[in-house]
Amino acid sequence: MKSYHRFVFYFLIFAVMPGVFLRALIWTPTAEFLGESSRILYFHVPVAWISVISFITAGYHSIMILVSEKRRNEREYKAYNAAYSGIIFTLLTVITGSIWAKISWGSYWNWDPRETSIVILMLIYISYFSLYSALKENVNRMGISSVYLIIAMITMPFFVFIIPRIYPSLHPDTLINADKKIHLEAAMKLTLFTSIGVFTIFYGYIYNLMNRISSLELTMQEKTNDN
Amino acid sequence: MNSRILKNIKKDFLIEFRNRSAVNISFAFAGITTLSVSLAAGGAPFTPVVHAIIFWIILFFSAMSGLAHIFIREEEEKNSLFLSLYYTPEEIYLSKLIFNIVLFISISVIVTALYLFFLQVFPVYPLLFILTVISGCFAIASITTILGAIVSKAGSGSSLFTVISFPILLPVLWTAISLTSVSIDGAGVQEYRNIVFLLAFSGVIVSVSYLTFKFIWTEF
Amino acid sequence: MINIEADKIGKKFGKTSLFKNINFSLTNGDSFYITGPNGSGKSTLLQILAGIQNPTSGSIIYRSDNSIIEKEQYKHYFGFTGPQINPYEMLTSIENLKFTASESADENRLIDYLEKFDLYRHRTKAVKYYSSGMKQRLRLIHAIINDPEILMLDEPCSNLDTKGRDILYDVLDTLKKDKIIIIATNESNDINLCSKGINLEQ
Repeated sequence: MKSYHRFVFYFLIFAVMPGVFLRALIWTPTAEFLGESSRILYFHVPVAWISVISFITAGYHSIMILVSEKRRNEREYKAYNAAYSGIIFTLLTVITGSIWAKISWGSYWNWDPRETSIVILMLIYISYFSLYSALKENVNRMGISSVYLIIAMITMPFFVFIIPRIYPSLHPDTLINADKKIHLEAAMKLTLFTSIGVFTIFYGYIYNLMNRISSLELTMQEKTNDN
Repeated sequence: MNSRILKNIKKDFLIEFRNRSAVNISFAFAGITTLSVSLAAGGAPFTPVVHAIIFWIILFFSAMSGLAHIFIREEEEKNSLFLSLYYTPEEIYLSKLIFNIVLFISISVIVTALYLFFLQVFPVYPLLFILTVISGCFAIASITTILGAIVSKAGSGSSLFTVISFPILLPVLWTAISLTSVSIDGAGVQEYRNIVFLLAFSGVIVSVSYLTFKFIWTEF
Repeated sequence: MINIEADKIGKKFGKTSLFKNINFSLTNGDSFYITGPNGSGKSTLLQILAGIQNPTSGSIIYRSDNSIIEKEQYKHYFGFTGPQINPYEMLTSIENLKFTASESADENRLIDYLEKFDLYRHRTKAVKYYSSGMKQRLRLIHAIINDPEILMLDEPCSNLDTKGRDILYDVLDTLKKDKIIIIATNESNDINLCSKGINLEQ
């Protein structure tokens, strides 16, 4: 990366991101009913967004592994790293979500549609990693894991259709639902969007770092193999 | 290709029939679980939703105990290389799929009969009930076939199979449970749409599995 | 006319390199041996040639009448046998053969082969009850039953008694004139049978 781009990138992460946090924690006015706890919104929503992005990235690379022979080694570690970071962010989503749920509604877990979808995502990640470690002896490890991830990806749209029907008697979660932005004032909206943006860039940075490390490990391994 | 698939299915049935232990154990598991539930319930009144949930849980675990066997046997008896030299991955996949569908429908017939009889459940909408069981079985069999192939290559056995099947079987279980509870107590609308949903899900899974099976079965 | 070419084949498992820079080219009428100490990669090289395993470097090219064949189609051109290839133990030999034989083969052909390898009298017993020599003969029948252009044999003489070996060499002598035969072996008789070969000893 050119040094100018790198400067902008680091500026965004190391200067703007803390700035956004400060703004989220202090400056932005609080939501009407929730009080101070609404500030979790600016962390919870981006983290949930990123766990979905990781899933899509892992799925994309998994499909590409099966589709083309070229650059397979690279795609293998990219898919793995996306899944790895994905499960961490999913865990963060569940934790921030249940903290917020406890404060707002009095209980940590409620089985509403959003919560359920995130749990399912987490189960899929956990299964993926169980499969990956069980396949340790197998040469075809990444190929088989990719097929599993693709099948899991396919079931996601079906979940989206079913989930709203399954638990109909729950409290409405209009404020948590990130799509209903009409409940947010302009200042909150701005903070939320910048927070999402900055988190995405942060994720890109971490993912890039993980990939560079994996690429170096791969090169080192190839060098020792050649000797 | 069709005759070759038939040959494969015939061979699988022949082998499983001669060494009946695996299939017998699956049927025995299904029967015993159903009986234990009815004995443990002891005539306690369950709501239709609870009946639906227990019924599909029994079917789920019967599937977990029996449906990966067809691939695990190939790996354990070291026949998989032999098989792959003479048949293409697509033919192998379709024959295993059909075997699993037949096996699971038979298991569900037994579970349904025992459950309805011992727990004295009489569905208000019998047609909906039967269609739900059949389409649910199709869906479960489709998913467990491809996942069974995946697990057979991992060598960890049935606990891994349960772990990886569960997230993917959830939509099937949810839909089937809600349909079954409607068909048992008659409350709510008869939503045949959900049956179409289950069949559509099976169709999508079968298509994707057909395309990706060779990546599991052979080293690519 | 079929042609197999191995171009700079190498195989590594993790850090250990099994073999590298293997080059050869085979066509009809060639009989090729692969030999070397235990663990030198004979079976692996044979499986790479069959497309069952992938090499870590280099490539295999199959040509039929000068047009390149896809890897998925390789299995239609060869017959393969080896200790990892096991017919179904719960089926009898004739059932196994019916399972693997192509549609054009009728039952008489299967019976002929069973007689030739002296397995006809055991044809109604499940393979589970066969001795290891009998199982090896059955494997050999499977390899040649569909009359493939290429024969790949991994330790074909293992477990065979003298009579079995005679039958095998008899068959191979007939076949080697217009087929490609590749044998992975340590037996000197097998090596003497072949026109060329390589030794994987580093």
